[in-house]
Amino acid sequence: MLPVSDFKIKKKRNFNLIGRIKVQVLLASAILVISLFFVQLVFANSLATDGEKLAQIDQEIQKLEAENTTLKVKIAQESSLVTLSQKAKDAGFQKPQAQAP
Amino acid sequence: MDRIKIFQIIIITVVAIIIFRLFYWQFLSDVSSKTNSFLKESEIPASRGEIYATDGFPLVTNQEAFLLYGKPSELSKKPSEVAKTLAPFLISEKYATLSANLSDQDLKQKEEEISKKEQDLTTKLENQSFYWVQLARKVPLEVKDKIEKSNISGLGFEQDEKRFYPEASMAAQLLGFVGFDKFGQDTGYFGLEGYWDRKIRGKNGRLGQEQDPFGIPILVGRYRPIAPKQGSPVYSSLDRTVQYIVEEKLASAVERYGAKDGTVIVADPKTGHILAMATFPNYNPNLRLEFDENLYKNPAVADTFEPGSIFKLITMSAALDLSVVDLNTKCPCDGPRQIGGYEISTWNKKYYPDSTMTEIIQHSDNVGMTFVSEKLGVDKFYDYITKFGFGKPTKIDLQEESAGAIRPKSEWRVIDLATASFGQGIAVTPIQMVQAVSAIANGGELISPKVAVKIKDRDKEEGIKPDFERQVVSSKTASQITEMMVNAVEKGEAKAYAPKGYKIAGKTGTAQIPLAGHYDPNKTIASFIGFAPAYDPKFVMLVRFSQPSSSPYGSETAAPTFFEIAKDLFNYYQILPED
Repeated sequence: MLPVSDFKIKKKRNFNLIGRIKVQVLLASAILVISLFFVQLVFANSLATDGEKLAQIDQEIQKLEAENTTLKVKIAQESSLVTLSQKAKDAGFQKPQAQAP
Repeated sequence: MDRIKIFQIIIITVVAIIIFRLFYWQFLSDVSSKTNSFLKESEIPASRGEIYATDGFPLVTNQEAFLLYGKPSELSKKPSEVAKTLAPFLISEKYATLSANLSDQDLKQKEEEISKKEQDLTTKLENQSFYWVQLARKVPLEVKDKIEKSNISGLGFEQDEKRFYPEASMAAQLLGFVGFDKFGQDTGYFGLEGYWDRKIRGKNGRLGQEQDPFGIPILVGRYRPIAPKQGSPVYSSLDRTVQYIVEEKLASAVERYGAKDGTVIVADPKTGHILAMATFPNYNPNLRLEFDENLYKNPAVADTFEPGSIFKLITMSAALDLSVVDLNTKCPCDGPRQIGGYEISTWNKKYYPDSTMTEIIQHSDNVGMTFVSEKLGVDKFYDYITKFGFGKPTKIDLQEESAGAIRPKSEWRVIDLATASFGQGIAVTPIQMVQAVSAIANGGELISPKVAVKIKDRDKEEGIKPDFERQVVSSKTASQITEMMVNAVEKGEAKAYAPKGYKIAGKTGTAQIPLAGHYDPNKTIASFIGFAPAYDPKFVMLVRFSQPSSSPYGSETAAPTFFEIAKDLFNYYQILPED
């Protein structure tokens, strides 16, 4: 017959082992959760700055589109027949007199 | 204490701190910003489609402009002070463009306008029951910059693009303009802007985006863009050079002949495409509100008039096509005729007995035309009038086209048959006359006139093909009428003005104007219609003057103008004289 203490020690040893495993699992989960938490923070922060970059790019696009529109209008105005004929007149150009009879 | 318990406490504390900070930023913090941190719905405006000439030049384009708004509760100054600062910037643009040349009267008008604008702005800004008030639309960029420099808080700007016309008044009536509808949306009126409005206007998009209190987008948040559908650009057949030539000649001719107004249409008879369409007086769409609104209408498509002798071409075409007369038929034409209780005489009281059909056209003989119309009879004549497209719209792609007015056949009396033969007692539009004579120039094929040649819808191009309607007269008849018209130019009343060496087919017209049941003895519509080169026409043209005072006759006003324009067109198209 085994001594009672042996059984209790074995039971205590087994219990300690299960306890240790539980602690390790808990610890690992906690580390994982905390790491994920910080990873999310990093990504969220990055996205926040990306949001600002996006807003800046949008603004830049709008600014360039507006400049394009303004330049297009200016080109059209300067190359219009109305403007060119006035400039030609101011520069002393005259319509040729010899035309179709 | 147990290590696990300590660890648990740390985790709970950290989480509690984070939750508290989030609560603080979302609900307690008083962050000053223009937006809140929820889903922001904003409109992405669509640009209106441009209108191009045949050389790709934008006849109508868009320029940057803004809607100016105010927030009465956020103004840093008194409403009256803000109004006083803003008013001089928001009056008519003509005072800015003509600032160096303002007369005393103009200056007085300017002061009155500023005062009125100031009152209007003060009323709007004093109204505290509104969070947001619109102060001005279509504010140009330079004005916006000046207003921003005055550093008044409580004002803001939104994109509000404005139409710009680089060629100023060129083809104004044909292009139309953009105004507002009852909802304040940009809408095209008259001309191409009106006709193609649905395609040109596009559709605004929407952007649903979550933003933080500083207005920066939260990318992990909801993002629901609906892209705007930009307006489709319209490519027209308008030739800028031809339009310029026509407008220059027309303006000087209207002045020279003392006419109330003038209209010229130039078209390609083979395709029906409009090369130029001008009316004088016209207006500058960039400063539209400064002009009489009666000028907005396009008389080339909207005005009806009794065509007079140019309509003889239609009568004669019908008669030849039906073989009720031929080139050898002779008309007695030895004096005035009594028809239905009225006397029909020639315009110059000269009579040419035994005239051939060619001579009837050459002399523009009204008595001869009654002879021809009697041969036709009401039924056949009416049939050809409608075949030539009169009495209904030509389906040109311009808003406000009129159908003209032809009395129902059943109401025609004997006198109506006679007078209609020389273009009185019926009402047509200038574009209908051009369409009809284009059919003669085009071997008898009637083609519906068009201004747009293609429309670009995103990346897809929608070509607009010539609209062949029907064969109105045979090609033989068309050739015979062409010969008559060439003869009329070479031997008729306008022969002195015709350029030498070119075969031009044409006909003069002088029509009396009806006034309260009778014809005004002093006022006429003087016109000339024709095409050249006669046997391979490059263009068909109508010149029409309303009430020329120097001379009532088409041969002395419209015909010389036609030939002057034709000379420039021969040079432009490099058409050499045949001799």
